Amino acid sequence: MIPLARRYGGPTVRYVLLSVFALVALLPTYVMFTGAFKSQDQFIRSPFGLPLEPSLDGFVRVWSAQFPVWFMNSVVVTGASVILTVAVAALAAWGFANWSFRGKSGLLAVIISLMVIPPVVLLIPLFQVGAQLGWISTYRLLILIYIGLMLPFSIFMLTNFFSTVPGSILEAARVDGASSWTTFTRIVLPLSKAPLATLAIVNVLWAWNELLLALVLMQSDDKKTLMIGLTGFQSRYSLDIPTVMAGMSIATLPLLVVYLIGQRSFIQGLTAGSIKGE
Amino acid sequence: MTGGVAPSTLAPGRIAVRRSSPGSWQPWLWIAPAIAVLLAIFGYSIVALFGESLTFQGDWVGLENFGLIFSDPLFTTGLLHNGLLLLAVPVLAAFATFFAVLLFETKRGLGFYRAVVFMPYVLAVPVVAVVFGQLLQRNGPINEALRSAGLSAIALDWLGDPNVALWTMAGVIMWKEVGFGVVLILARMLTVSTEMYEAAKLDGAGFWRTHWSITLPEIRPILGFYVVTEAITMVSWVFNYVYVLTNGQGGPGNATVVSELYIYRNAFQYQQPELAAAAAVILFLGTMLFVIVFVRMQRRSLRVSS
Amino acid sequence: MTTTRKLAGALLVATALVLTACTGAGSGGSTPVNTAFPTEKVKLTMWWWGEQEAPGAQKYVDEAIAAYEKKHPNVTIDAVLQTTDGLVPSFQTAAASKTGPDIEYFWGGTNALTPAWQKQITPISDYIPKEELSHYLNATEETYDGKVWTAPWYVQPSFPLLIRKDVLAKNGLSVPTTWDQLMSVCDALSSKGITTIAGGVKDGWFGGWLYSILGSQDLSSQSDVLAAVVGTQSFTDAKQAEWWTRLAESKQHGCWNNDINSLELYQAQQRFVDGAAAMTITAGTDAPNFVKKAGGDANVEVTAMPSWADGPYAGKLGSSSQTLGITSWSKYPQVAADFIMFLHTSAQLDAWYAATGAMPADDRFDLSQVTSPAKKKLFDMASHGGPYLENYIPPQLDSDAVFKNVQLVLQGSTTPAQAAADMEATAKRLRSTDRTLVKNYTVWAR
Repeated sequence: MIPLARRYGGPTVRYVLLSVFALVALLPTYVMFTGAFKSQDQFIRSPFGLPLEPSLDGFVRVWSAQFPVWFMNSVVVTGASVILTVAVAALAAWGFANWSFRGKSGLLAVIISLMVIPPVVLLIPLFQVGAQLGWISTYRLLILIYIGLMLPFSIFMLTNFFSTVPGSILEAARVDGASSWTTFTRIVLPLSKAPLATLAIVNVLWAWNELLLALVLMQSDDKKTLMIGLTGFQSRYSLDIPTVMAGMSIATLPLLVVYLIGQRSFIQGLTAGSIKGE
Repeated sequence: MTGGVAPSTLAPGRIAVRRSSPGSWQPWLWIAPAIAVLLAIFGYSIVALFGESLTFQGDWVGLENFGLIFSDPLFTTGLLHNGLLLLAVPVLAAFATFFAVLLFETKRGLGFYRAVVFMPYVLAVPVVAVVFGQLLQRNGPINEALRSAGLSAIALDWLGDPNVALWTMAGVIMWKEVGFGVVLILARMLTVSTEMYEAAKLDGAGFWRTHWSITLPEIRPILGFYVVTEAITMVSWVFNYVYVLTNGQGGPGNATVVSELYIYRNAFQYQQPELAAAAAVILFLGTMLFVIVFVRMQRRSLRVSS
Repeated sequence: MTTTRKLAGALLVATALVLTACTGAGSGGSTPVNTAFPTEKVKLTMWWWGEQEAPGAQKYVDEAIAAYEKKHPNVTIDAVLQTTDGLVPSFQTAAASKTGPDIEYFWGGTNALTPAWQKQITPISDYIPKEELSHYLNATEETYDGKVWTAPWYVQPSFPLLIRKDVLAKNGLSVPTTWDQLMSVCDALSSKGITTIAGGVKDGWFGGWLYSILGSQDLSSQSDVLAAVVGTQSFTDAKQAEWWTRLAESKQHGCWNNDINSLELYQAQQRFVDGAAAMTITAGTDAPNFVKKAGGDANVEVTAMPSWADGPYAGKLGSSSQTLGITSWSKYPQVAADFIMFLHTSAQLDAWYAATGAMPADDRFDLSQVTSPAKKKLFDMASHGGPYLENYIPPQLDSDAVFKNVQLVLQGSTTPAQAAADMEATAKRLRSTDRTLVKNYTVWAR
């Protein structure tokens, strides 16, 4: 044992490692944000440095494209699908958590296992049926599919959490004559604010960042989501890096803000929901 | 089982009230909307997919599509690459554990570092891929920095060398996914009673010893969850990375073709939806292995709780 | 979906039969379908591409549409520019749902005929008179079974090599005219750490370009390629495979930038403008812009790739036209055709040239207004060009075999012989997975 080295070497090594790790984690974000304010030459000459002569040209160019339309489309699709997913999942999770019935564990297991299925597998038949129904480039088809894809994880997480609601409270409610609906809305939901918020955030992240399905299902230009617009953007303006970076920055900003604000309760809820039952 | 309150025989905190009889219709009412959506999206798709894989332009062709798929070296290459990506999962888990432990030992700045670590997870994949696409060019910023630090031996052609490209992709995926693991593991560690750690310190156990004998067993379940989740990612959810990092080519050569890309290209670029369907069926059946593992895990934990 | 497709197909066939019977013109397809111009409100959607390679096209399209809408007030046209990587996939998905554009842009040859074979477009020779069509340049590329399927729009001289005389002069070199001279220039410049030719193959497209400009030099006609696709010749035959060796040779002599595999096509071309490379290969329509940015005609030589063989196409540019087609689900094909014909009126041809500096695909275009020497040379070479090979192979063969193997050869991971063998193997596979391939290409070759 070398207590001295351990006492002074340990924390230093640790902080060095942590700093390296933080640097690696933050670097691409940093490059993206600073690049948005540079000119093309500046970026090529010094990609890691701070913008010496900041300019908003990139942002201007980006905004005059279809950006606002794409942004709104993403907001609509993400908002609708997440709200509906959380609602439907909460109902189902309460059904699983509060009652026991035949086939319950099997059904629950199957539902959760649906997470394993690659979306591209579903895409072909869903696209074809969507085409037949004339639902290509409509909000409803994409939203419905997103809900379907987000449900398994959502049900999984909420079922786990609802199972931890103390029986005493529920018993008290039952004794007071509350119906199951009232129990759910007046007691369980208020208790579940953290995991519900967490679930919403996780789902918002997923839906906002989703690419493949939106790419195939939203054909018309005025319905494209932000992610599709951005990826096409990149090849169209691949010579104009600041514009690309500006576009990316705007796309990332909402999520970053949400994350930074809700970070503490988010992580709290995430771990509370996931690690129970393990 | 009669109605009413059953005495709690469960772990504290677990729900104790179980309503009525097994034949009750009530829970089904609650679950119905979810089931409807899931049947529409998953149920219909799987059935239609199986059906389509057995036809060609409307005519029944039996297993012909499957034969063509299996004889296509590109398909097996795609599966192989998914398999190789799976090798990254233990590495990912190790990194996550290591950093979680680091953070656990850190008193000052824990919140800051934890926030930073999780940030990549928040970024959109296309964003990540575009930025890395710029950074990882052979004469791009990262290699330039390496060269000026005298490390030009490792300034590889990250995206252009077929021997390296897949691992570069794995690296980018790991960069993004590690934060998730760190947060999970760290939270679990924080719930472990501090007495155990204090006892270990009193015993004079060093850094490695402590964590080997206390931390690892405690985090095993959550680590298992994380490993399975990431394994699923490597097989089923890497399309976005490949599509944006390689402009949909799966290049250089075929170095980064994965099964999702193979399916997408056949269905939407080469107008061969039946072949794509057959490949999708195979991928689906393959992921069933994971389903079995997952189901076992779930059933075990559910039986514990009910 | 499939039943609908069958019905649609049957309907098309029936219509075609009826039409042929009515016109009594046999397999000529020359008499246009007689449908009156509608008087109700018409909305057309056009998905197109081209601003990327012919800057100024977007402005031209906006103005042309405005002019057309003025002429026909009941018609509105919505033109949407597609991305390079997304042009084909977006059309395929639109075609699968039979929604989307009325007018679609296609690169020539197989790129236009593959949708035709899948009945996703209706032949424009059904709506544009033969006499008019005869003026459209390179229409033979999309002629199949006696019908012209898409209408040439502008010519793409494919693909000139741009040479910066200043960079060469600074290093005491002169402009190479033969392949061996080019190789010596590569040796000389690479020994000084200077890039000779700037290229980018990460996104694949450049591979197809190289195949066409290097691979055509030893062939006697495009039927050689078609024959190899169908199987009567092989991609491993000497005249089909030699170009892989030449490609490898160019790598050995250090002709390319060392990061060619991690750069995209358009990114790499920028090096030429910056003076960081002596040469580059650009789209013919884009070449004049590069010439201007790199110091003007006095400084930049525009030429075909120096030849290593002496076939009829050696030293020539490929000549191909980018085209516009009418989708099979369009409700107003006659209006779409009318718009296309409008684009070929003399005022529009001149406007196109003025906006983009590119050559319209119409022999009625007055060439005397082209004064810039670079453009003159390009247009002249395009008028006497050879076939553009990439347009004669199935798109899947292009991306699975050509793009991929060019990437690998330039990386040094595969040998020319392996590349040629892989292309042949891929073609063989395609013949079995695409069950209509052989028939289509055989008929086309006639």
